[in-house]
Parts: sequence; structure tokens; C-alpha cells
Amino acid sequence: MRPLPDMAGADAPFWQGLRAREVRVQRCGNCGAYRFPAARYCPHCRSDQSQWVAVAPTGTVETWCVFHRAYFDDLPVPYTVLQVRLDCGVRLFSNPLGIEAGALRIGLAVEAAFDDVAPEVTLLKFKSRRA
Amino acid sequence: MPKLLSAAVVGVGHTRYGKLPEYDAYALGLWALTEALADAGLAFADIDGLIVNRIPDYQRFCEIAGLDPSYVSITPGQGRFSGICIATAAALIRDGLARTIALVYGNNGRSGGDRYGGAGDTYGSGGGGQWFPYGMTSPGAFHALMARRHMELYGTTPDHFGAVAQTIRAHAALNPAAVMREPFTLADYRASRFICEPLHLLDYCLINDGGVALILTAGERARDLPRPPVYLRGYGMATALAGSSFPPDDFWRAPMGKAADKSFAAAGIKHADVSALMIYDNFTPTVLFSLEGFGYCAPGESGPFAAAGHLALGARYPANTSGGHLSESYMQGWALNVEAVRQVRGACGERQVKDCAFVNYLAAAPVCTSIIYGREPS
Repeated sequence: MRPLPDMAGADAPFWQGLRAREVRVQRCGNCGAYRFPAARYCPHCRSDQSQWVAVAPTGTVETWCVFHRAYFDDLPVPYTVLQVRLDCGVRLFSNPLGIEAGALRIGLAVEAAFDDVAPEVTLLKFKSRRA
Repeated sequence: MPKLLSAAVVGVGHTRYGKLPEYDAYALGLWALTEALADAGLAFADIDGLIVNRIPDYQRFCEIAGLDPSYVSITPGQGRFSGICIATAAALIRDGLARTIALVYGNNGRSGGDRYGGAGDTYGSGGGGQWFPYGMTSPGAFHALMARRHMELYGTTPDHFGAVAQTIRAHAALNPAAVMREPFTLADYRASRFICEPLHLLDYCLINDGGVALILTAGERARDLPRPPVYLRGYGMATALAGSSFPPDDFWRAPMGKAADKSFAAAGIKHADVSALMIYDNFTPTVLFSLEGFGYCAPGESGPFAAAGHLALGARYPANTSGGHLSESYMQGWALNVEAVRQVRGACGERQVKDCAFVNYLAAAPVCTSIIYGREPS
């Protein structure tokens, strides 16, 4: 079994959003800062007011690495993990979809690629953004 | 006004390192503590403060060791806590909460089957397996991400990481206690397999069993003990814990700078006065980040600095003369502090740094620590 997310956990709105082809994260009801994964309190202003909102599905690559040692069954190596900062400021780990290894660089503009990996599960991956 | 920072390390001890399946973390800790007390010329009854690290339970440890200290505490098994414990012990001594403190570390991770990636990994995954669906896991990958970023920003190369690994292995070759003592070439390094690219197997620390203990006491008392006291001339800490599920943009440069400033101000010395470095080497890139953050190199210059040989014995800043985590033993900072003490004592034999007046222990992590050891109290 490949590792799958907890669809029913605190991040359920995020995973449901991906099914609907949206990137949804928590937005603080007091200061407006975005955050993900889910947390009761805003780490900037400590407010407990928040809602899940769709954000622009765009961001930039901050760095990446390539796994050669396998840690999970059914995730064959090598595979690449990206660190992406969404334009709303939220950071994510993810995988590239259709980006050639040689094309990766810091600051590469990327956009969401919704990858249906199981009947009920969509992962948020990233492809190069066209200018 | 009492003199600050007058605490001294008066005893160090450790177990054999390697695979020790017949010992649990408690037994490894007690073995090391027995060695450290013998080194200090002190008895169990002299201990009135105890901090255990990576040992699962302080009460059980005291029961096993027959200890009733006035002060006791326990800290989690993360490498950043060795520096925290040492600085805390110095502060406790200064404030009179305890006079003679034992710091005891036991790690049976090798025989206990501890895993640092995949299910059960909490460090490199951002906690709770949040990123497992994307295959993100392990402290090694976390550092591989930082290494790649450093390469892209500054032109750091894999050979720079290799130079760190090779230099530290050459030091381990002079240390009979080290687990890995066979020197290797840069070609061997390049040929070693990738674990998480850009990092090779030889960029990763060991995983082995062992225990370490340090005995600290007040400066006045230290002078009456058999070993030359090694004083904590200065220490400083700073953190970057907010947002720390992800690698920091600045390679922890800001907190390292703060920690360095505090420690050097307290010690009353400059970087140029330092004789040797003990750098927390969980992965080779951490050594480079530390050189920059703690002020031994300008940002981006650490790779060429290491490749030029400045970290080798006989060069300007001999680093990890014991072999560090990469080659001596994965004792999460503790064994590097033992080596710092032994270097200041002048007790390192073949691998002794000449005229070793000051040693700086550096640890780069979400908690950064700088400790300066010296022969005289400040």
C-alpha cells in the first residue's frame, strides 16, 4: 500500500478541495494569515477564528531532493520531493508532475496538478507554470 | 557579585561504541556515568544534580543507579539537547540549585531498531506523517533539501560535502574508540550510493549504540579534583522553531549568529582565539551551514573552506578530531563535547591539537547552541 492521507482528519477540507480541483487552506479570521496543516490557533496572532478558503493554485519551488532509498512500499525510487511556497505563503512538500529533472531550479514558477492516485484520493502535485 | 560561567567539566566517560544488544539505554547510561565519575575522582554520592537525555525515564534511571539527587530532569532524545543540557547544568550550578551535576546519555537505537524514515518517523516528515503521501520522510531528506538549496544559491558542490566526510574520517582513523576508521578518497565518496540526492551514504551519520556522561561542578571545587578542569567559558543558544516543519531559508544563520555572539561575549574571546571546532555533524551539509552561521566563514564560502583543508588536524580549525557522528559514534553531540574537554586537557594523543586553548562546540538545528571551553575560568 502506498501511504495515503487521513481524509477524515483535521485536514479534510484540504483533501475535499483537491477532489474539486481547488487548493483550500485555513485563513485566520483575525489577521488573515494562511496556514496549513490545520491548527486551532493562528501562529501569528493566536486567534482561534478561521475558515477554509480556496487560494491561487500557484507558487514557486524553494528546493528539492531525490529519494534513492525506499522508505514506503509502493513508492518506487527514485522519486523527487519538492518544497513549494504557494503565493499565499503556505509551504508544502509535494512531487513534480511532468517537470524534467534538469528544469528544476529555485524560484521555478509552478501550478497545481491534481493527481487522482486512488478512487477517493487526490494529491496536490505541481507542474511548470506557463508564462 | 558571584563570578558567572565558572562551572567546569571535571569528568567525562563513555561506553564502547557500536552494536551492544545486551545493553538498554539505562545500562549504557550507567556504564558511562561510572566511567565519568572515575575520571572525575568522584563518587555516586557526590552527585546532587542529574539530567538524563534519551534515557526513557529519570525515575527508573535513579532507581537503577541508586541516586537521590536534589535536582533532576529529563530531556528528549534529540541532538540539540546535549548543548541545552550542558548550558542548563552550568546555570544550575551558578544559581546554587546543585553543586555537582551528572549529565547522562544512553542510546540503544541501533540494537533497539530505531528508524529515521518511513512509518514512525516524526522528525523529517513534519510530524505525524503529514507528507508521507508524497514520500517525504527522514532527517536525511530534510538536510538533502537544505543541501540542494545551498548548492543552487552558492555553487556548493557534492565534493565540498565529500571533503567534510573525508576529513572527519581521517580524524577517526586516529581514534581507537571510533566505529568507522577506514580512510576513504574523494573517488570513494563519489562512488558511494545516494540515499537522498544530493546526499550520499557517506554524508550520513552512523547509527550505533552507546552512552556518554559528563560531570560538571562549580569552579572552586573543580580545582581540587584530579583532572585539569575544563571551564565553560561561554555558551549561547537561540531557536528557529516557528515554522520548523520546513527547512529554514537562511540555513539557521540568524539563530546561529545570536548563539555565537552570546557565547563569545561571555567567553571574552574572538573566533581567532579558537583552536578547534566540534561541529554537530548529523549530515555533512550541517557542518558547512555551521561554519557560516557561527561566524567562521562568510555565507556561501564554507564549501571551498572545507575543501581547502582548513578543518583537518594541523590546519587552522581542526574539526571533529574524534571522528564525530559521521565516523566515531552517533552520540548526538555528547561525544563531541567529551572530545572538546579532552582536547582542552591535552589528552588526545595522536590526534591532539597543539596548544589547544579554546574549543568551540557548534550545533545547528531548530535550537542552535555554541559552547566555548577553555583552560581558565572567565
